[in-house]
Amino acid sequence: MQRIGIFLKNNMKLKAVLLFFCLLAAGTASAQHSFVAEAPRVVGLNKPFQIVFTADAEITGFTPPTFEGLNVLIGPTPSHMSSTQIINGKRTDFLQVSYTYVVEAKAAGKVKVSSASAVLDGKTYSTKPLEIEAVATDDAADARSSGDDAENTSAGRRGASGEVSNEDIYLRLTFSKTNVVKGEPIIATLKLYTRVPVERFEDIKFPVFNGFWSQEIETPQNINFTEEAVGNQIYHVAVLRKYMLLPQQTGEITVNPAEMICQVQVMTSRGLPRSIFDDFFDTYQTVKKRVSTQTARIQVRPLPGGAPASFGGGVGDFTMQVSMSRDSVKANEAASMIVEIQGKGNLNLIESPQVELPADFEKYDVKISNNYTNSVNGFSGKKQFEYPFIPRSEGIFTIPPVAYSYYDISKGRYVVLKSDTLRFRVTPGDSRQAGPLVSGMNKQSVVSLGEDIRYIYTGSPRLVRDGYFFTGSLYFFILLGAIVLIYFVLYKLLRRRARLRGDTLRTRNRKANKIARMRLKLAQSYLKENLASSFYEELHKALMGYISDKLAIPFADMQRETISRTLEEKGADRTVIEEFMQLLDDCEMARYSPEGGTEAMEKEYEKAINIISGLENKL
Amino acid sequence: MKGIVRLSMIICFLAAAAGGYGKDLDSLWQKGNDAYSIGEYREALSAYKAIEEQGYESAPLFYNMGNAYYKLKENGRAILYYEKTLKLDPADDDAENNLKIAQQFTLDKIDSVPDFILATWTKRLMDSMSSDNWAWLGIVMLALTALLLLFFRFAPSTGARKLSFVLVCITFLTVILFFIFAFILKSRSDSRDYAIVMVPVSSVKSAPNATGGNVFILHEGTKVSILENVSQWSRIELSDGRQGWIPAGDMEII
Repeated sequence: MQRIGIFLKNNMKLKAVLLFFCLLAAGTASAQHSFVAEAPRVVGLNKPFQIVFTADAEITGFTPPTFEGLNVLIGPTPSHMSSTQIINGKRTDFLQVSYTYVVEAKAAGKVKVSSASAVLDGKTYSTKPLEIEAVATDDAADARSSGDDAENTSAGRRGASGEVSNEDIYLRLTFSKTNVVKGEPIIATLKLYTRVPVERFEDIKFPVFNGFWSQEIETPQNINFTEEAVGNQIYHVAVLRKYMLLPQQTGEITVNPAEMICQVQVMTSRGLPRSIFDDFFDTYQTVKKRVSTQTARIQVRPLPGGAPASFGGGVGDFTMQVSMSRDSVKANEAASMIVEIQGKGNLNLIESPQVELPADFEKYDVKISNNYTNSVNGFSGKKQFEYPFIPRSEGIFTIPPVAYSYYDISKGRYVVLKSDTLRFRVTPGDSRQAGPLVSGMNKQSVVSLGEDIRYIYTGSPRLVRDGYFFTGSLYFFILLGAIVLIYFVLYKLLRRRARLRGDTLRTRNRKANKIARMRLKLAQSYLKENLASSFYEELHKALMGYISDKLAIPFADMQRETISRTLEEKGADRTVIEEFMQLLDDCEMARYSPEGGTEAMEKEYEKAINIISGLENKL
Repeated sequence: MKGIVRLSMIICFLAAAAGGYGKDLDSLWQKGNDAYSIGEYREALSAYKAIEEQGYESAPLFYNMGNAYYKLKENGRAILYYEKTLKLDPADDDAENNLKIAQQFTLDKIDSVPDFILATWTKRLMDSMSSDNWAWLGIVMLALTALLLLFFRFAPSTGARKLSFVLVCITFLTVILFFIFAFILKSRSDSRDYAIVMVPVSSVKSAPNATGGNVFILHEGTKVSILENVSQWSRIELSDGRQGWIPAGDMEII
């Protein structure tokens, strides 16, 4: 069983209030007094009710108020109440002086009671003017039968049947709006309306707001009833809970009913006929009454499309401020960048804005601190996003503008907030002097910040017709042909040149024998004349010239070794070569020391002819 | 050697330019590049497409188109155009890099059957240049062979002739190899054997009709090889050897 508060009768509550004021007065200094007026806010037409002016000191002069539209039935009736309490030798005095009027509303509508004033301890106090609403109730008949407790009577009337109707007591869950955009704050109020006295509540099931972010913004500990006119009825109304809701889904969201059981006091009578005493000895019976709200439906529209990239879910009206936590930033020292979102709306749900700190900075998680209060328009206040970082190198850095966008409900569009570009200098840190350890420079590898494709090719497009290839194209084959052609042309040219050179050799070869014979003939003539040295010279010439021409050896290269090797290569007989060499040696000897005489010369001549003819056959 | 190749290529392209494209295509190309540089990818793409529609192609063109598609988050098309680029110029580093990045966003992971190591090496060597470059290099080598052959024929000394003979053999073999590479790459470019899946999801059937049972499901950006075509259906093979039939409209040939 949950006991939240007790409501019995209007005047009982009045007493409680008075008592409270007395306590208050006793607690505060005696020099301070209070003078208040008390009256129900809503009354039935032609139903008498009390207006009480209460002071906590002796009233020396009381100026009554004016009652517009009210009939004063009785009053003012002064009453005086005092008590003295001694607790542990400490004495406290209570004093309460009141003037009570019993009045009645003459016509439906608002009536005013002007302020009354009283002189307390030589000082004049006045009450606030009262405004009372008079309602023409349906059961006007009840007005006569009972006193000031309209609800009591009606409860009693129904109590005869032992039931409490749904109109006597009911729960209402009201919403400030039922057609909202996603994220727009709604205030939901859970109220209990009653015309019967409620003793206590139990089994309270508060509504569950699925699809909403919800927060209770009012959770009264004591339930205070106020009068409120609903239609032609006067109800005692108590606010049980007040919620702030932020829709998180779109579409029609259903709020399940809230429910509670009220223990209601109903008057019972012991059947007919009613004795005259029955009215005196009304017996009250406690009846349990289950009350519940109706299922509520709220239409949540989605936010319009085309939200900017920087949209962080904010709905309302915001401003943004961007700052650095400190004016000068040193390398290797922590600092932070602060983004403050200020305004009204779903502050609690907005995401942290995107801040692009320089890539070289060491970044840490965003710190979020809230400083906002609940209000009818959602939260108002500010939310602070702190982006801590440690710059690892000095230099001038630029933080690009922070963009943050929200949905403005009243304008019905997205609003983009944009800060300025932040430029700041990171001064060299003094971390090196800080410790005894000299830490080396931190080498770091180049970190890939994000993978992206390489940039487009911007040079010449080198366009060709579809399917065109140089390979196998006409140009390709022309080039191939050209190379082969050039090869053959060069080949022909080179070969012709080589052949020409080869022809001179051949002629020399062919003529070698002839020349040799001519020389031999000349030698023979020298032989006849017995000119030994000339003979040998000519003979040597003939031999050498023949070999030079025949073997295509230049005259300069005529060495014994070259000759014998070349001859061997050409396939001459070994004996012939040796003979040839012998003859050459003899010739050279005889040229400078001729001694053999004619016979020897003739012999050599014969030999030369034999060798040449022998070689001629071989070569 | 590369200088020569370049020079001869320039000559060739000048010849091609004389017979083909003029200022119009150049300005379209420039327009596309300018639009890309300021982030107007759709505009850039339309300029590139205009060039393509006039019947021209080139590795840079396809590469830029791939980039534009990538930026427009049309991953399948981006992969298609990177593959096209690599088909024209298998040595394009940038296209290979971007293709790898684009492929990270594809859903299908297919393990390819590993090739014989020598085949891999040969393929890598062959892919290190485009067909035309191989052809040019082959022609240069052929000219060298001819020179060496002449030297062999007319060299005065036997030693020089022996050396030149060996060199002639080597260069002639390289000429043949280069021309083989060039023609293989060309035929690969001409072939229509590979395709990229273009629809987000395509179910591969066991028979070339809609009633055939589903064999497996492919997602956008997957490369398949086409084995045969029957009316509106293509028989495809994945790189892991699995086969099936896919509607020809679900993919685009590289």
